[in-house]
Amino acid sequence: MTFQEYTPDQEDALQEVVNIAMGQAGAALAQVLDVYVALSVPRVRIVSADGVADAVQAMIASAQDGDPGDVTAVRQGFFNSLRGESIALFGTEGCNSLADLMGHEQALEKDEIDRELLLEVSNILSGAVLNGVAEQLDTDFAFSAPTLMAMRQPVNRLLDAQALGWDYALLVEVNFRLEAPGFSCHLVLLMPEESIEFMRRGLDAMLEGL
Amino acid sequence: MNHPDGDSRDLLESIVDRVNVGVLVVDAHYTVVRWNRFMAMHSGLAADDVLGRDLFTVFPDLPRRWLTQKLRGVFLLKNYAFTSWEQRPYLFRFPHNRPATTAVVDCMRQDCTFIPIKDGDNHVTHVCITIMDATDTCIYQIQLREAMDSLEKSSARDPLTGIFNRGHIESRLRDEFARSHRHDSDLSVILFDIDHFKRVNDLHGHMAGDEVLCEVANRVAGALRKEDVFGRYGGEEFTVVLPDSDLAAARVVAERLRHCIAARPIVTSAGAVDVTVTLGVCRRHPDIATHETLLNRADQALYRGKAGGRNGVFLYEDEA
Amino acid sequence: MPLPVLVVDDSSMSRKLTIRAFPGDWDVEVSQASGGQEALDAIERGLGHVVFLDLTMPGMSGFDVLAEIRRRGLDCFAVVVSADVQPKAEEQARQLGAMAFVRKPVKADALHGVLREYGFL
Repeated sequence: MTFQEYTPDQEDALQEVVNIAMGQAGAALAQVLDVYVALSVPRVRIVSADGVADAVQAMIASAQDGDPGDVTAVRQGFFNSLRGESIALFGTEGCNSLADLMGHEQALEKDEIDRELLLEVSNILSGAVLNGVAEQLDTDFAFSAPTLMAMRQPVNRLLDAQALGWDYALLVEVNFRLEAPGFSCHLVLLMPEESIEFMRRGLDAMLEGL
Repeated sequence: MNHPDGDSRDLLESIVDRVNVGVLVVDAHYTVVRWNRFMAMHSGLAADDVLGRDLFTVFPDLPRRWLTQKLRGVFLLKNYAFTSWEQRPYLFRFPHNRPATTAVVDCMRQDCTFIPIKDGDNHVTHVCITIMDATDTCIYQIQLREAMDSLEKSSARDPLTGIFNRGHIESRLRDEFARSHRHDSDLSVILFDIDHFKRVNDLHGHMAGDEVLCEVANRVAGALRKEDVFGRYGGEEFTVVLPDSDLAAARVVAERLRHCIAARPIVTSAGAVDVTVTLGVCRRHPDIATHETLLNRADQALYRGKAGGRNGVFLYEDEA
Repeated sequence: MPLPVLVVDDSSMSRKLTIRAFPGDWDVEVSQASGGQEALDAIERGLGHVVFLDLTMPGMSGFDVLAEIRRRGLDCFAVVVSADVQPKAEEQARQLGAMAFVRKPVKADALHGVLREYGFL
């Protein structure tokens, strides 16, 4: 398909939209866990299917906390005017201390607690970021249940270009760090072609209003 | 919309009531304001028994701390929340609908969705919880896992002795070698074979030979730790991978194995047979680059032992 | 004489949105900076008596800018304009010398309230 990059203005606007949404997500997480969540500047890019794995890896490696090594990943679908998937990537270290923060009872096995927690935190972050984006674009989303996508795997194993049903996608990355227990999460949003165009129209409408 | 009972609201009401999914709604005080037929049927409590009452009073067995946290999150964050049977088997303890055919699961497995219900001012006033019966999925998953396990077991096992086969031993050794290299931890390998095994076959027959192989495997397996990996390497040759064991520890293990074979004869259908084994031992050394080299060196030690008397433990010569 | 006002944000849209929220009759001379270093230079040159400052910026963050303003003893009235709406972020910004905190997306009412409170209107 022929396809047009975002203009610098559109990219700037999208980055700011995501920035605001990320702020809300950070505040949501902070409220639930009662800790301070450090935020960094979100990044947005349009990527081709065969470049997506490298792009995700590059984004993560250039974040402040550096290469997380193997990651555990949770995916979740969102749909309506924008369709896509969010993938939350957690470093192998640092997940454990969450259990206390989240108020979990000892009824479940340790491993199960970790898993449930990761699903929970992923759901909070992707829900808050996407609801924040939706609000600014005057739309809303429905969500599928989060599922565990990979446990302790290298990032480049997560996305197989052959298996992706699109040529280009909008890639959005935000990074959350908890100051206290040394935990960090990268949230990656991937939206295929038709969402790139919907987003473009939404951004243009915002820019026209300036 | 045409409906015998009247307007479309009635139609929606009746769909929500009859749909084969549990639907309950609570307000911010966890008072139940909606309870559909699925919930009534499975809990045995009709809407009249539940509506207007505190959820936790009616169901004292609910995981209170966890569930209030979850609900509070939905009110606060205005966001969907989910639970899956894979993490939390059920929210409400309901009997499942396969009482005649299933003993694998004790009660209904549930996938739950928590949906924020907002008023005009974007405030969440209620949370709707939907409950899907996931028992069938759960059972299929269990069956699948069992099938995979037995498949994996059969492809990793030596059919005669039931211990690991060569392929599995090699792949485990590769993993352990990498791990030991990464963490700079100890790792040793024992390679051993049965002395004069050809003579056992010739004198007592192949059946007795097989019985000897099985009994050797049996005795050795009983003399090892849980984390040791033991397999038949081929013919009358066996391998033991000893994680976190230095040469001294491996030598002790090897001596124990030698003794447990030589200590008493092996009783076969063709009579009692005296059996001994010769063992070669090597530890991972920084100059050993691959797991194949490690195995080779254990083999060299074993070969040296074969020439020098058998029924003994031989360390790789650099170490001896 | 118009009041020198500096708007600091890495996003040009965000700067525009902040400026658009200014009162229509506010007599100001607006300058913009897209990063922390540029902002400090502008403040040194007297372009920012009132500074609207973003917190999450690549390189030098808004927190860093506040700390540097204090270290250099620069005289300006800093209003943080931030998407990071955690109470801790506001607290930290105030400790570093920010006088006020406005949430993104910027609402004109909220911004005018701050300006009125400190006598700029």
